[in-house]
Amino acid sequence: MYRRILVGLDGSEGSRRALDCALDLAELTGAALHALSVEEHLPAFAGTVGEVQDAQRFANQYFRGIHEEAAALAARRGRALTHEIVPGHVAQTLMRVAREGGFDLIILGHAGHSALAHLFLGSTADRVVEHAQCAVLIVR
Amino acid sequence: MESNIWLIAAAWMALAFLASLISIRVGVSVALIEILIGIAAGNFLHLHSTQWIDFLATFGSGLLTFLAGAEIEPDALRRHVKPALIIGAASFLLPFLLAFGFAFWVGGWDLHAAQIAGIALSTTSVAVVYATMVETGLNRTEIGKLILAACFVTDFGTVLALGIIFANFNAWLLLFVAVSAVVLWYLPRLTRLLIARVGHRVSEPEVKFVFLVLFLLGGLAKVAQSEAVLPAYLVGLVIAGVFVRDRILMDRMRAIAFTMLTPFYFIKAGLYVSLPAVASGALMIAALLVVKMVAKVLGVWPLTRVFRFDRREGMYTTLLMATGLTFGTISALFGLTNHLISQAQYTVLVTTVIGSAVVPTLIAQRFFEPRAPARADAGMAVPAD
Repeated sequence: MYRRILVGLDGSEGSRRALDCALDLAELTGAALHALSVEEHLPAFAGTVGEVQDAQRFANQYFRGIHEEAAALAARRGRALTHEIVPGHVAQTLMRVAREGGFDLIILGHAGHSALAHLFLGSTADRVVEHAQCAVLIVR
Repeated sequence: MESNIWLIAAAWMALAFLASLISIRVGVSVALIEILIGIAAGNFLHLHSTQWIDFLATFGSGLLTFLAGAEIEPDALRRHVKPALIIGAASFLLPFLLAFGFAFWVGGWDLHAAQIAGIALSTTSVAVVYATMVETGLNRTEIGKLILAACFVTDFGTVLALGIIFANFNAWLLLFVAVSAVVLWYLPRLTRLLIARVGHRVSEPEVKFVFLVLFLLGGLAKVAQSEAVLPAYLVGLVIAGVFVRDRILMDRMRAIAFTMLTPFYFIKAGLYVSLPAVASGALMIAALLVVKMVAKVLGVWPLTRVFRFDRREGMYTTLLMATGLTFGTISALFGLTNHLISQAQYTVLVTTVIGSAVVPTLIAQRFFEPRAPARADAGMAVPAD
């Protein structure tokens, strides 16, 4: 069964369902659980470094809140949850982190719409399903 | 409407507000959107500038230049001083000479106009480079810090050229150089002292002090027929160390700049771009963009090999250093304001500069993004409980 599960978190309803499912599976299998959020929307063709740093700070603050919420939920269910925020392209970053971290399952919510941006939209799920080197579970 | 400054301010602020909303929505830099909105407002709404808007825009460009200088990491520059100086200087010189030569001999521009073309197209957008490297995690690696340090050297070349080429070499220039040298020497110590004694109060004495220095040196630069962005950049560079330790001061300066000053600058920069001139100058725009990119490749790529970047990293660095936006538009607007270039030439230069913000970035990201960025450096990994 699964030993290391990677779950994508963007604050959408879909990603919350993905986290629930990941916690269920972790309870069943005893797998280690890791949450990943990807900062995708730094301003393109920036005019000033400050603009980029501010956007990054805003994204970090946003994702930290989501991770605190996820960590509290995991703790209530007696599970350990590690998490990280990585800048980059969402699908590529998910697959890279999964590959480098030796994860054997990626769990994503279907068609989530976050306030920050459309982070884990259908196309992201499609790309991950098509190209990931491990199993992928899309939660509706 | 003509004499009602409140309504004029409201119109400009409405455009700035719209630019912020669009920028957040589409994830593109607010600076670029403000320029594009300025282009639309100038061509379709016939919006024009006034004397007080000119002041705000000039102050905005000075503050942008100051912030650009202050954003350098002094330690990174010290660590990589030799490669950064060599790569940065080559990244300035070759594009400057080739763009100047192309505009002068092929485009038939006069000497001053060709010099402005050379300066405007020699720039590197530190912000574009920085954003791209944050997304790949390279900004936290030594190679990323070296690239950023080299970009600062290139921009220094640009402001130096802008400040010296058109200056009058007389007693006023001597006075400007002497006063600048003394002020820059004592500025870090004075700023630190001021922050320690009276810093972070509601009346913001440290911000006023920095503005005082910028106005004074900018004024002396103007008397010497030099350009205020030169002392602004130097002031930023010498007090970068203070800003690195005092993020609150940096944040306050940014808030002042981005809310009230830079929108006037970027919208004004777009205002003078004439769409008919874009159409008639399309060939020249494309040619200058190619000249800039080829010049950067010729100047930077061989040096990346000398300093042992691998091929992919080398081409990625080269393309990122071919980007440009803020300093390119500042140089072009300087030329237009001082009647060194015509509006048609300004249009060609600003459109080329916008193209240089977009095209090299897309090519770099699509074809040359370094493999296996430093993931461990890029994010945070903390236990949940």
